Amino acid sequence: MSVVLWQRRKSRLSTLIDQPGGLSVAVAVAQARENLDTLQAKSQTIVAARVAELAALIAPSPTDPDAARQLTLAYDLSSAVIDAAGPFELYDLCTAATGLCDLIDAASQTDRPFDWRIVTVHAQAMQLILSLPAEAVDTRRQVLDSLKQVLAKKIPLAVG
Amino acid sequence: MSDPAEGLRDSAVFNLTSAVTMVVDDSAFGLDLTCVALRGFGINPRHLCTSAADAIAILTEHPVDLILVDCEMPGMDGHELVRWLRNSGLDPNAYVPVIMTAAHVRASKVSSVRDCGANFLVTKPFSAASLLQRLVWVARDSRPFLEAGNYKGPDRRFNASRARAEDERRAEMIALAIHEEEAAEAARAAADAKETAA
Repeated sequence: MSVVLWQRRKSRLSTLIDQPGGLSVAVAVAQARENLDTLQAKSQTIVAARVAELAALIAPSPTDPDAARQLTLAYDLSSAVIDAAGPFELYDLCTAATGLCDLIDAASQTDRPFDWRIVTVHAQAMQLILSLPAEAVDTRRQVLDSLKQVLAKKIPLAVG
Repeated sequence: MSDPAEGLRDSAVFNLTSAVTMVVDDSAFGLDLTCVALRGFGINPRHLCTSAADAIAILTEHPVDLILVDCEMPGMDGHELVRWLRNSGLDPNAYVPVIMTAAHVRASKVSSVRDCGANFLVTKPFSAASLLQRLVWVARDSRPFLEAGNYKGPDRRFNASRARAEDERRAEMIALAIHEEEAAEAARAAADAKETAA
């Protein structure tokens, strides 16, 4: 029989949070957004660079011993896009990047060769999303729907 | 305790200005993003680490109140760092609230991330408002700490996090013992009946 130990601990953080002073949620969120805005231009530069690197990746041949490393690099670049775009509400871009991460991750758990066109299609889709004006909602939705179809075909359980 | 997904009132006031905060992220830009958001919340991060090794060196020497750690890092991962911390025996750091952030969690790592002992996993993208919501939730997290098998960390059950009193556990053990005794008695009776019939 396994032993379960319970311990009631009160963190110092739980005491600090109710100390006099501080600031309201509205002020805190406004300040954080303002601070984050100072990094938005840098974020855009990093995102564009990562997407360009992703698009420039050359498909390895199935017999290439570095194929797995190349796939990890594509995963890392896609993940880096989410990291840098994260706080700036670029949800479409993050959805595309998350889909690519899901597909690469799923492929790495099988012995079947990875269809590299998936990386190319996602990289091009991300470039398109970046270039579209904010009001091109329908085009953006079409791009994401196409990527969703790829995801549904490769990992049916990933699409609800 | 409120639901983690529940929103915060705009007028709610909190004070985390003196919280000794550590941020761990191998990406310099990721570190910047987290730090500027925290500063907006009035938190000035004390320890900025770009690797788990850097974080361990500090955690063994200095008490901290809050840790934000990125999940994916080269070398020792964020979840490995949290597992190390929970098992470190360092007091109070082994029990410090930990928020893990992740751009994407590989399917093969989901259970490891879930079982590492972090208080909360925040998946990106997240807004400043949602990060603050998680921070406040974690600060008010009253779940007891559990040690069960290989797991050490806050009770993973968000809604049933009530530490049971000793007599309550004893009552359960007694009920279980009675049940086992009755089951054994029934099995003996069935075997006797079978033997008699034969």
